[in-house]
Amino acid sequence: MHPFSFTKVSDTREALDAGRRGGRYIAGGTTLVDLMRETVERPETLVDITGLPLREVSVTERGGLRVGALVRMAEAATHPKVRTLYPVISQALELSASAQLRNMATIGGNIMQRTRCTYFRDVTAACNKREPGSGCAARVGFNRAHAILGTSDQCVATHPSDVAVAFAALDATVHLLGPEGERHVPFLDFLLKPGSTPHREQALQRGELITAVEIPAHPRPLKSGYLKVRDRQSYEFALTSAAVALHVRGGVIREAKAAAGGVGTVPWKLSTVERHLIGERPSEALWAEAARHAADGAHPLEHNGFKVELLRRTVERQLRIVGGAK
Amino acid sequence: MSPQPQAAVGAPLSRVDGRLKVTGEALYSAEHDVDGAVHAVIVDSGIGRGRITSIDARAALAHPGVLRVISHRNTPELPYRDNSGSNNPPGRRLRVFQDDRVLFHGQPVAVVVATTLEAAQHGASLVKIRYDDEQPSTDLTKAEPGESTTYARGDADAAVRDAAVSLDLTYRTARNHHNPMEPHATIARWDGGRLTVWDKTQWVVGTQTELAAVFGLEMGAVRVISPFVGGGFGTGLRCWPHVVVAALAARETQRPVKLVLSRKQMYLGTGFRPSYEYRLRLGSDRRGRLTAAVHEMDAETSSYEQFTEGVLAAGQMLYSMPHVRQAYRTVPLDVNTPIWMRGPGFQTASFVIESAMDELAHELGVDPIELRIRNEPSEDEAKGVPFSTRRLRECFTVGAREFGWHRRNPRPRSRRDGDWLIGMGMATGVYDTVRAPAQARARLEADGTAVVEAASSDMGPGTYTSQAQVAADALGLTMRTVTFRLGDSRYPATPPHGGSMTMASVGSAVLDACDRLRRQAVILAIEDEESPLFGVAADDVVVRGGRLHVQGDPARGETYQRLLTRNNRSHLEAEGSFAPPSGPERHSFYAYNATFAEVAVDATLGLVRVRRILGVYDAGRIISPKLADSQALGGMVGGIGTALLEHTVTDHRDGRIVNANLADYLVPVNADIPDLKAIYLDGEDREADPLGVKGLGEVVMIGVAPAIANAVFNATGRRIRELPITAEALL
Repeated sequence: MHPFSFTKVSDTREALDAGRRGGRYIAGGTTLVDLMRETVERPETLVDITGLPLREVSVTERGGLRVGALVRMAEAATHPKVRTLYPVISQALELSASAQLRNMATIGGNIMQRTRCTYFRDVTAACNKREPGSGCAARVGFNRAHAILGTSDQCVATHPSDVAVAFAALDATVHLLGPEGERHVPFLDFLLKPGSTPHREQALQRGELITAVEIPAHPRPLKSGYLKVRDRQSYEFALTSAAVALHVRGGVIREAKAAAGGVGTVPWKLSTVERHLIGERPSEALWAEAARHAADGAHPLEHNGFKVELLRRTVERQLRIVGGAK
Repeated sequence: MSPQPQAAVGAPLSRVDGRLKVTGEALYSAEHDVDGAVHAVIVDSGIGRGRITSIDARAALAHPGVLRVISHRNTPELPYRDNSGSNNPPGRRLRVFQDDRVLFHGQPVAVVVATTLEAAQHGASLVKIRYDDEQPSTDLTKAEPGESTTYARGDADAAVRDAAVSLDLTYRTARNHHNPMEPHATIARWDGGRLTVWDKTQWVVGTQTELAAVFGLEMGAVRVISPFVGGGFGTGLRCWPHVVVAALAARETQRPVKLVLSRKQMYLGTGFRPSYEYRLRLGSDRRGRLTAAVHEMDAETSSYEQFTEGVLAAGQMLYSMPHVRQAYRTVPLDVNTPIWMRGPGFQTASFVIESAMDELAHELGVDPIELRIRNEPSEDEAKGVPFSTRRLRECFTVGAREFGWHRRNPRPRSRRDGDWLIGMGMATGVYDTVRAPAQARARLEADGTAVVEAASSDMGPGTYTSQAQVAADALGLTMRTVTFRLGDSRYPATPPHGGSMTMASVGSAVLDACDRLRRQAVILAIEDEESPLFGVAADDVVVRGGRLHVQGDPARGETYQRLLTRNNRSHLEAEGSFAPPSGPERHSFYAYNATFAEVAVDATLGLVRVRRILGVYDAGRIISPKLADSQALGGMVGGIGTALLEHTVTDHRDGRIVNANLADYLVPVNADIPDLKAIYLDGEDREADPLGVKGLGEVVMIGVAPAIANAVFNATGRRIRELPITAEALL
């Protein structure tokens, strides 16, 4: 671990000042400290923001949900409003990490977490994300866990978060506070595909602070859920996952929200799947037909080709679990 | 001598050191408080093969707290005497910092010593090393095999060719790492020319001989202390280079040095279960009587040592057949040298043979248990001697009944529970009953308590407890008045704590020492005119609860305490030993099991979930039933890992291990562990050793992986011949 200085701030103004001077925000620290130990991350200054008043979960005026950036994963998962309005969020959180990590890690930190690509986490390997221009060891290396969607010739690393998949499905927005004031960025624009700049992972300005994630109101009742497919039953990142939310009225799907995890360089919004569902009546055939498009545009690598079919099956299964069948 | 009543042996006792462990008072290797110890962190090679061309340590040395950077550039020549009395395989062992060669990715190439751990870690990251690198060869399937070990009886190739039914199957098993909870750790201290190390090891004597050989010392000048080991599974059976690094760093800095491997380094400079490619051809008649088997296997070894393990025995003795041919080729690769891992060799052979037996059973339409019974041998056909005990039929009968084997539908894909296909499978497990020379010392104090010592180790099976049970009964003491000490090379020498040989070997030496000690006390009493036992025949005296008395007349006797005090004896002491009989063996010694597994497979998503496992063991006498359950259940957990999860992945481009951490190298978590049950056949093996035990710690893991693979076949109709069984294989 490289030497660093550590400062704790007590209000957002202090935080922004420290951030503007190049300080790195730290909350739960469950990703950042690990990566510092591996010398993947070498911040000079850590700014502890856990004292900021960003720990509220509240219902917005329009009936959506606003989750403060410093709400712990465990708190968000068990919050009554989250549980009743958006089971998909609770499930995604509870299928993440371990109980210990969920007690430490925050929502803001969760969406900021960095890839599990083993070459990224090994400072002796080539990685454009860690060291721009050094190459990508994963493209032709061991890439079973890597992305099939949203990849570039520079980077094929997945975004590891589960709850981010739920946020992507539900069209969440990220609330940011910077020196110039507050702004709201759609979740899908917040996390960046690697393209030719894989080291840029979020649409964050220098010193900007995540204050909350807002989930817009959706028509009710909204049935939702998260399915995570992995080798062992706990404490593993997803091979594939699917977040699905459906609003069915009069026997017809009026709203459909879906996204996939474990397969994309960012949480992968399944827009084509959503389009195939809207206006249709739930049925086994519909789930199969819609899920057929889940992996459209996939670029499988040597060891992750199975994810193409597994993703379709994961989405089909989760549509059936959430939507039932006639 | 009159047989002692057995009160402690066979009782389901809790660990005598359990409280120490859960309260954190049990000191593991890194936790010993050695005055003035500084910290060492190893720098691992960043290439898979080649030469070091330069080492720039300036930045590291400039960092506050860094004392020294030691590498081949500034290390004196070390004697590295030959050490045949160790677990070093044939070859030329890796010599720490003796030249510029890099033999595998992650080899220790330098060490940074600093006053704090943080400074040492940071210093290690600042050492800049340049290499002249060569393409390493790490792919088992693409490299040239080296040495070959062979066995043959009859003409197996012809017999397979002519068999009414023949199978030709190739299996692959992944490299596995032991992953004990406690990392390897060493504290080394020199006092003049004497070296003391506190080390995580399963064999203090082995580490002692190796350090003496490396540094050119007398054995007596090296002391190795290892009272607690936080899991081993075989990784502690050899003195790895980092132990030498710690001792070297202590010598060069003239300070005690503590060196703890990181989790990542546990995959680099210490050994592993080698990966295999194993082709098995089986011939049988139409009724399932085997006629022949041809085993051809390639296994990983390093470029500088030839590691082999017991992968051949099972193929020679498990089933009756006239014709067997085996060729076991080791393939030298640019990797670290493998080491035994739980159930070494037998684990791999069992997966292959027991999967193939299941394939044959399916092919012939014979029940898998029935097929095995039809091929049950009446003697060890490789050695031509009878089995000491072999109770597999009972294992099958008890197991089938307890597991509900009759509910298994032999037709695959015939049972379903929602999205899950349900299947049952079984397999036989076998492991060698290893015994080796061992010594022990027992001392009875005038206060009626006893201390028993043997070098030994307790990597988790509960050696402290089980040896105390043996000693307590032999001395006629309660568990509370007996202390067993281990983990110090100053205690009487014992063999490696591995291969399930500790109870048979060390236990028998402890029994001998305690028998001798008790006899001393008895003789003291019967020759003492003031003793109520004066004149009684020695064989008529037993000891119970610390009181010697006439067999059948408990009123006539006295306590050890009274006897010793009256005779002005501060203590009595005896040494004991055990050695397996020399000369040709008159029996064939193995422990056996029948393992049953039920799995659920989500065939759509490719997921396998184990629902329950039952193991029935023919392991001889069970000294400590509660500890036996710990072993058996742990073995099943290990088997689940091997079957479904564990796989050390190497990037063959540069020899790098890409999943050297516990997030990417998957072991089972609690949620993966279902209903596990162990049953031990009552009885003992009088031929094996004085205690009648056959060893348990290895055999409990063997058979689990094939039982699961066979259950997956029964569930899905898919035969997976490569471990671990992953989602992509089942989609």
